[in-house]
Amino acid sequence: MATAARPDASQTSSPVGRGVEPLRAGKGNSFLFRKLHSLSGIVPIGAFLIEHLLSNFEALKGPLAYAEQVKFLNSLPLVRFLEVGLIFIPLAYHALYGVYIAMRGKANVIYYPWSGNWMYMMQRWTGYIAFVYIIQHVIRQRFMGVSLPEHPGAAFHKVQMELSNPWMLAVYVIAMIAVCWHFSYGIWLFAAKWGITPGANARRRFGYLCAVLGVVLAVMGLASIYAFVGPNYKNAPADVMPAQTLLYVTPSPGASLS
Amino acid sequence: MAEKTIQIEIKRQSGPEAPSTWEKFEIPWKPGMNVISVMREIAANPVNSNGQETTPIAYDSNCLEEICGSCAMVINGKARMACSALVDKLEQPIRVQPLTKFPVVRDLAVDRSVLFENLKAVKAWVPVDGTYDLGSGPRIFPQQQEAAYPLSNCISCCCCMEVCPQFNDATGFVGAATIAQVKLFNSHPSGKVLKEERLRALAGDGGVQECGFAQNCVQACPKQLPLTEAISDVTRDVTLQVAKDFLRA
Repeated sequence: MATAARPDASQTSSPVGRGVEPLRAGKGNSFLFRKLHSLSGIVPIGAFLIEHLLSNFEALKGPLAYAEQVKFLNSLPLVRFLEVGLIFIPLAYHALYGVYIAMRGKANVIYYPWSGNWMYMMQRWTGYIAFVYIIQHVIRQRFMGVSLPEHPGAAFHKVQMELSNPWMLAVYVIAMIAVCWHFSYGIWLFAAKWGITPGANARRRFGYLCAVLGVVLAVMGLASIYAFVGPNYKNAPADVMPAQTLLYVTPSPGASLS
Repeated sequence: MAEKTIQIEIKRQSGPEAPSTWEKFEIPWKPGMNVISVMREIAANPVNSNGQETTPIAYDSNCLEEICGSCAMVINGKARMACSALVDKLEQPIRVQPLTKFPVVRDLAVDRSVLFENLKAVKAWVPVDGTYDLGSGPRIFPQQQEAAYPLSNCISCCCCMEVCPQFNDATGFVGAATIAQVKLFNSHPSGKVLKEERLRALAGDGGVQECGFAQNCVQACPKQLPLTEAISDVTRDVTLQVAKDFLRA
């Protein structure tokens, strides 16, 4: 005689047994990874972005001032260590984990076209743009062509050659706006998500501040691009600081001056 | 004069594994109708707009005054409570489908037990059970009551989770409702005895960190809970708890 089997109690918390998984209370390391991603976007990456945009702004003063800036940065103590530890590694982490985050989100702006939802989607798209742009930017400007740490005087010419291609110029303009957007909204997100601006009014006011910062950074960045393609410094010399030959001998004690 | 009617299209599914199809209905208009009362009319005369006899629509509902949280569904593309979705304010044909992120049981009835599991995982209660009389609880000042009251309005409808881009199979995000309840019970003078346990739970996979701050939750919440404020506050508390635990380990 068949009797109806009672369903297994361990499987009946959800009568259907599908759908979104409940919270894995206290398990896993994603909190640490996610917070590290959030923090790395502000320091060191955000700080580096500001430094980079300020340095680029020197281009408006011409090839020599730009070269001086490049030379100054490359004369910082432990500069190669700073480059790897404070730029390459954090940037690679932020980029790769950011793509992982973005790919797991399911944007639904078509159904819920609200401003915060738009910004959510834009943060992911500007992130993708920055991801692709920065890879080519680092390869072509840092690791290909003339090496700027050894030849800072060639910096202006190198960028000018790159931007002489109108397609590349378009890429730089789009990427400049995308990166400044991503960073300024990222600051806003950081304040909201770390509990610095819990209040709706505080978030709104801070949003205006971040918008102003984003616009200022983008305008500065676009102005720097203009310095390379505008009429002021056309056909900049290939190297404004040619390798200097030693013109004098350092006097050493005991050596007779002749 | 032709009688005024209501056009409604409902996404139907006979069981959890069955394929879904849209069925159209045309039913007589009455004053003051909501989406639930439309479906009651269908149940009274289950005939679709092609004149074919069909089955009544399965759905969850109870209070019909937006306080029980049962009847959340996607109406004209938006997650909302069917009882407060007034027909006269909706564009027709009204398109009704079950919440998309919860397993369908049948028609518009979905399984929202994930929220119950999440509330259990964060111990969203005031622990007062004991073997003897614990006496009266500590006094809660009116200022504290006023701060807590909006969070206590949650009706567990799951609209905040349905509209959240981060609440999905890939993340297993806990959702805004549970985070808001953590803030509520952590602020309760007796409930806060479990504060550290709740915060540690929310630092787990699928916890507060998965929030992308799209802020859809606070837009969609039928009870206007301050959900984004709660997420911000609770994430700060979770971060501080994680840091404290790390330094005391």
